[in-house]
This record gives sequence, C-alpha cells and structure tokens, in this order.
Amino acid sequence: MKIIDCHTHFPGEVLGAQPRPIEQIRAEFERAGLCGAWIFTVDGLRKESARNNDILAESTRNHRDFFVPFCTVDPHDGAETAIKELQRAQRQLDMKGLKLHPWLQAFSLTHPAVLPILRKAGELGMPVIFHDGTPPYSSPLQIAAAAEKCPQTTIILGHAGLDYLYNDAIIACRRLPNIYLCGCAVSSGYLKQIIESCDINRILYGSDGGFAEGIVEHAIDKYLHIGLDEAVRQKIFYDNPQKLLPTRYKNG
Amino acid sequence: MAMIIIDCAARIEAKNGKLQASDWLEEMERAGIAHAVIAASDEFVTVYNEQGNRQILELARRYPEKLSGLAAANPWYGEKALEQLEEYLVEGLKGLYLNPQRQGFLLTEKIVHPLIKVCDKYAAVVYCHTGTPVCSMPFQLANLARTFPRVKFVMGHAAWSDFSGYDVFPAARQADNIFVETSCGGKGLVRRLTDELAPERVLFGSGYPRSNARVEINKLKSLNLSGEIENKIFYENARNLWNLDLSD
Repeated sequence: MKIIDCHTHFPGEVLGAQPRPIEQIRAEFERAGLCGAWIFTVDGLRKESARNNDILAESTRNHRDFFVPFCTVDPHDGAETAIKELQRAQRQLDMKGLKLHPWLQAFSLTHPAVLPILRKAGELGMPVIFHDGTPPYSSPLQIAAAAEKCPQTTIILGHAGLDYLYNDAIIACRRLPNIYLCGCAVSSGYLKQIIESCDINRILYGSDGGFAEGIVEHAIDKYLHIGLDEAVRQKIFYDNPQKLLPTRYKNG
Repeated sequence: MAMIIIDCAARIEAKNGKLQASDWLEEMERAGIAHAVIAASDEFVTVYNEQGNRQILELARRYPEKLSGLAAANPWYGEKALEQLEEYLVEGLKGLYLNPQRQGFLLTEKIVHPLIKVCDKYAAVVYCHTGTPVCSMPFQLANLARTFPRVKFVMGHAAWSDFSGYDVFPAARQADNIFVETSCGGKGLVRRLTDELAPERVLFGSGYPRSNARVEINKLKSLNLSGEIENKIFYENARNLWNLDLSD
C-alpha cells in the first residue's frame, strides 16, 4: 500500500520539538511505510515566516521525490505582504501549498487579511491546510465560514475537528465541496464516523509526524483497524492527495 | 415617556432545592425592568426539568405582567423531554431554554433536533446559552438555525467571551432566524451589533445572575443609541419575538 502523509512537520525550536536533519526525518517516514509526505514549517508559524519558508524549501531541495513542502504566511503582516510571500514561495521556492495555524499564529478567521490570502491561494492552485479543532480560533465551522467565501480554494481541515469537534468538521465537509478532512490526531472511532459520513474522495490521511518517532506508524494503524476496505484506504492514503497535488514520488 | 425594558436573559437561582424568585423580582424593581423572560438554572436545567418547569410556570402565572417563562428539557431524556417540552408550551411557556455545556451535548448533535421540531410545531423560540467551546459556539448555533429556518433562536450572551468579537457576526449573518442577546459582553459588541448586524436582531438581556441587570442596562444606555434603536433593543424586538402582550 502506497501512503502519502498529508500532515507532517519539519521540527524546529518551538512547541518543544528538536531540530533534526531532513534526511533523518525522511528515513523515519520511509521506515514507517510512507512513499511521500506533505511537510510544514513549525518555527515559521511563530516567527519569521519568510525565513522559515526559505529554510524548509532549502532543506527539502534534494528530497522533492518524497517531500511536498508547504509554506506559511502571517496574516498579521497584512494581506499585501502575505500574498507577496505566498507568490514568492510558489514561484521561487516551488512550495506547493499553504499551512495556516490560527491559534499558534494568533489570528481569527475574521482577520481582514484571511480571505484575500485564501482567495490568492486558490488562484495559485495551492491547497490551504489549517490546524483546526481548537477553540477559540480554529474551529471547523469558523474555517468553513471562510471557505464558503472562497469556493475556488481547496481548504483542508488538518485535524478534521479533532476529537472534540469532529462532528462540526463533518458538517463543514458535507456542506462545502471545497473542504477536505485530514484525519490527523483524530481517535479511530471518530475517524470511522468521519469516513462513513463524508465524501470519501475528500478524506486525507495525516499523522503529525516529525515531532517524534512513532507518530506515523500509530496514525497509519488507526486506519487499519476500523473496517475499511482496500479501495477506501487506497483513496485516503494515496489517490486523494495525488489528485490534489500530483507528485512523482520515488517510491510512489 | 420612560423606556419599557424587557429582559430576555434572566435565570432564577436554585437554592435549597427550589427556584427562588424573590431576589430576581427585587432586582427587576431596582433596575426598572418591566418584564423578564425567565428560565430555571442548575439542576432544574440539567436533571429535574419537570420540577423546574412547574416552578417557572407557576411564577409566570403568579406574575403575568412581570414574567414569562421558558421550559428546560434536557435532550438526553429523549421522549420524556419531548413530552415535557410540549406539555409546558401548551401550558403557556414561551420557548425552550438550552444550555449545552450544562446539559451535556453539542449543538451540532442531532439529539437536540426533536426538541427543535417541537418548538417549530408551536412557533416557540429557542434561547441558547452560547460562548462555551466546544459545545455551544456561534457557528454551531448557526448550523442549527440553518437546519430549522422557521424556528427563531436567541444567541445567549452573544457568545461571550471568546467569540463575541469575532464569530457572532458571521454566524448571525448565516441565519436570519438568529437574534443576539447582549448580556455579559462588552459595550463595543453591542455597538457593533446595531451597526453591523441589525438593531432588529438585538435583544437586551440582564444575564442575571451571571451579570447584574443595572450594569447591563447602563451598558446599553451609555452607548447613546438613538431612541428608536434603544426602544427596539430594550422593548420592541423582545415583545415581537416572544409575542408578549404587555398591557399598560
């Protein structure tokens, strides 16, 4: 089974993580069974987003047959600056998507820069993955309200609401065709409900891998014990992410 | 002519196993509140709905000029909750009081739908405590309101605190059948509600006993809203929403 992980992190100095070489992370992910991984900056969510975009792009430069790097921007920089950085990240750094983390980046979805950023990401064909499931800034329906105003932008709820708000994530996904759910860090019982309730073509697998070893395996394991048939797993693990961001992986 | 004030958010405190209205009636007098839509609190909202509803109905009948009541029905009681709600709406209570964080459900869970259907049947209003993650947030109420567009909902306490400055507005705009009640939040919020939502969708609430009726009245009055808008918020909107017949 080919597996693309749609939610991994390049650990830096924040959130208690330890910086590690990208080669080490790749080896760990490959051992866990991944053929590819979308990867996000962590430090860039807290400070110097442009500099940390550079760091992630440079770190993954020789690993584009495995890693798909996402950039971040800071809405507090204002829409104009954030959009410039988004464009730079795509054109100069070849980054493929945008990661936003409202509570870590301390912005509300009602911040005036958010909608322009999301719309520009849609124009550029860059999917936007949000941290979600954490009140007060990152609930699925807050994100859905923004997604509803940006129908051309692919919006991914990076945690499918987490355990507390998965029900809201299901509602968001069922209501809006541009919303995808990544089941990262959701308990397996809820994961099953999510998969059974939503368009299976818009469910993604993710692990939060990168922070520590063993995360990826545990996340994969959840999908193996909830009665999913092979065809469903194939969509979640591989087909769906490939449709969103077609990538030529070395082993995929 | 003095402004008539209707309070849309007073809860009668439970003391010694009984709802005690005397403190609230005195507070009404002090604050100059003409009429209040009251609900039970504590165990009478969560567990002892029948006893609480009976006391609320008795108060509304004893003080018809001053009090109207809402029924509490915990959705986890299933059929019993539906019977309870229907019985007390027929007897004259004005709507349903929901407090998801206390009653233990998410506003997005379907367990609450049968109760809302009863409200739909009787054209009864749903007042909902909001502002508490993860169960009673503005967009969750908006989702419920969109699911039941004929039913009128009150977004209690304007989702104070974490959501007041943000989600209240886009959530309320998602569903025209949502009214926003002003208690507990800041002054600026009420100003924004009148400017950015619609004065017709704003309701005065004391938030008693969580807040103080006089403080809440002063909060609104200090905004120096036009007399017309003040009248809508303090009186007209509530009278229309709850279908109150307040004879002079």
